Amino acid sequence: MSIYIQSVSHISIQKPLSEEWMESPVVPDSSFMKSQEPDYKLFISPMEARRMGTLVKRALATSLDTLRKGGCEMPDAIISGTGLGCVEHTEKFLNTLIDNDEECLPPTSFMQSTHNTISSQIALRLKCHGYNSTYSHCGTSFDSALFDAFLQLSLGKIRTALVGAHDEMTPDYFLMLSKLDFWKTHFYDLEQLRRGEESVSISGSCSLSRRLSAEKQESTLCELKDMEMFYRPGILQSQHAINDILLRNNLSIKDIDAVVMGLSGDRDNDDVYYELRDRAFKNTPVLWYKQMFGESFGASSFGVYVGAECLRAGRIPQHLFFFPEEAEKFQKEPRNILVYNHFHDKDHSIILLTK
Amino acid sequence: MGADDTYARLLEGRSGIGKMKYLKSKHTDFPVGEVPFSDDELRDILFIKKDASITRTSLLGATALREALASAGLFPRDKSWKLALVSGITVGGMEKSEQYYYDFLHTRKRDEYIALHDCGACTDMIGQAYPFGFDMLTTISTACSSAANAIILGANMLKMNRTDIVVVGGTECLSKFHFDGFNSLMILDTKPCRPFDKNRNGLTLGEGAAYLVMEREETARQRGISPLCQLSGYGNRCDAYHQTASSPDGEGAYQSMMEALAMAGLQPSDIDYINAHGTGTPNNDESEGHAMMRVFGDQMPPVSSTKSYTGHTTSAAGGVEAAISILALIRGFIPANLNFSEKIDSLNFTPVTEVKQGVELHHILTNSFAFGGNDSSCIFSKIS
Repeated sequence: MSIYIQSVSHISIQKPLSEEWMESPVVPDSSFMKSQEPDYKLFISPMEARRMGTLVKRALATSLDTLRKGGCEMPDAIISGTGLGCVEHTEKFLNTLIDNDEECLPPTSFMQSTHNTISSQIALRLKCHGYNSTYSHCGTSFDSALFDAFLQLSLGKIRTALVGAHDEMTPDYFLMLSKLDFWKTHFYDLEQLRRGEESVSISGSCSLSRRLSAEKQESTLCELKDMEMFYRPGILQSQHAINDILLRNNLSIKDIDAVVMGLSGDRDNDDVYYELRDRAFKNTPVLWYKQMFGESFGASSFGVYVGAECLRAGRIPQHLFFFPEEAEKFQKEPRNILVYNHFHDKDHSIILLTK
Repeated sequence: MGADDTYARLLEGRSGIGKMKYLKSKHTDFPVGEVPFSDDELRDILFIKKDASITRTSLLGATALREALASAGLFPRDKSWKLALVSGITVGGMEKSEQYYYDFLHTRKRDEYIALHDCGACTDMIGQAYPFGFDMLTTISTACSSAANAIILGANMLKMNRTDIVVVGGTECLSKFHFDGFNSLMILDTKPCRPFDKNRNGLTLGEGAAYLVMEREETARQRGISPLCQLSGYGNRCDAYHQTASSPDGEGAYQSMMEALAMAGLQPSDIDYINAHGTGTPNNDESEGHAMMRVFGDQMPPVSSTKSYTGHTTSAAGGVEAAISILALIRGFIPANLNFSEKIDSLNFTPVTEVKQGVELHHILTNSFAFGGNDSSCIFSKIS
């Protein structure tokens, strides 16, 4: 059974619902970057939109846009990944609870606060009775959602799936995570970063929906060939996992045209990738995406998107190469791209994309 | 706590619902189903240091996980088998966050709990409490059906050979956040919940954790483990009706039960007992009842909601009720539905009110439904 990525739509720091980042990416100028909002009227009536939280609004827009692109009306499954859920409504309910000492609480905020609000609002809008689920597992929430869809498509239980990554960042949550050094909040300088002179990362929010299906279409971006998730592997086990996935798919490391890594500019995060580069990907060009889309619990979804879009376009834009010298050397049309993601060196994932 | 204690209480008809002890809400007139151990007592049970930062959700989860792993011969474990953990969690670390929220924003006193707030972090702590390590972790968050959906993902992973053994279930502790949230929706009963009773007036919130260890038949044989039962079918469907209310005809519930039956290759008449979602809210029990009538017609098998013993343990409910269903299956009894007195007019059945012992059960259906219309059903069958 082959599984294809049919279409992708996103709302992020980059121009929304667009692939303009391939040609001219927005360069972040602050460590707390807000998403660019699309014209929601195209998807949701202003009346409906007023009642909705930001995240649900974004999720609906990207979901409807990505379904529209591929001419699909009803997916067999709706699966979302969200590390933090609907933070805006959660904070509103929590603040009222504390301020009002558990009295006169807004039921709407509570209703909208659960993580599964996102998938269920999409289902409600589409009147979709199919499989519906939500993953909330830190930086591999999206990877888990994709894994679920991958398993069910492989088993033939479903033919199409709408898989999303939706996470928002509020000023309060940003502040709290900053205290944990979750992001380094210095000024952002791409060149210094590449030279490893500075530890910086930018916070983003994300809403990305993609449609997977078992049938190839004209609009197909690429094939989702295989994937694997693992926990606290250590470098040797990571190497084993990479070898296993290649072997399983009759590929060798030479067949991999590029590896997309979740490099963010934060040395604590990036060291794992540097080590992988040295051990497993010595001669494989490294691509990155968090410089464009920021760090968020759903960031890995952009890694898969960037890889898939390069396979569709048949080329890799220069600005995606982490090492500029690799960009100059790279001439060919990519056929196989690996996406490697980890969260705090605990949860890791490998995703193999093929033209 | 534990399978034997649960079994004894179910036979005696002793509910765990009572007065609030650990939840620090001012609304003390509502009963709750608390786990009768403080955080410190749970730390002791788990040999976790007194000053170690850990959420109650993780403490409950780690305690249940240890029992499950030990009874499946995985304490310690043979590393040649791949082992995954899929846990259902929704409120996660909120019980600590709501206490320390001022500190999160204004001081540095409770920073360690910021990182433990989210669902994934709670699963990670549970994973860390197991000294022999997991090969993969993930967290499902579909509110009150989280644990049931963990069972479904785990089963699909096994079918696709992506793991040899998978631990599935869920955990959730009480928090003011969701207690007050349910209260703001006016669906909490001031009396212990009365599932399927005409005068039911809402649910009773509970807390808890439960995990099941699942593996393929040949893995169990090779490990020398005799399995308790077989997961013969499961279904996940969305009601797609309303964010918090269930549809009058229970479409999502109907479809998820039908999907589970079809997968198991069973007829409705093959089901010997239904462990219902049965929260005790006017809306759920009516909707679920109608969905069951659509599936079973006038041949309704014995039905009970064991939430009258545990309260609604939200993200853990699918695991707790799967565990109770499996106990019922292997020990041959049907648990009673407490606090029932009068039939719901529009339904054609009444729940089981007295525990039935010495019954031969082959197939048990258990339902887990949630906000957002996330409806899931699982069927556990005796190994033939």
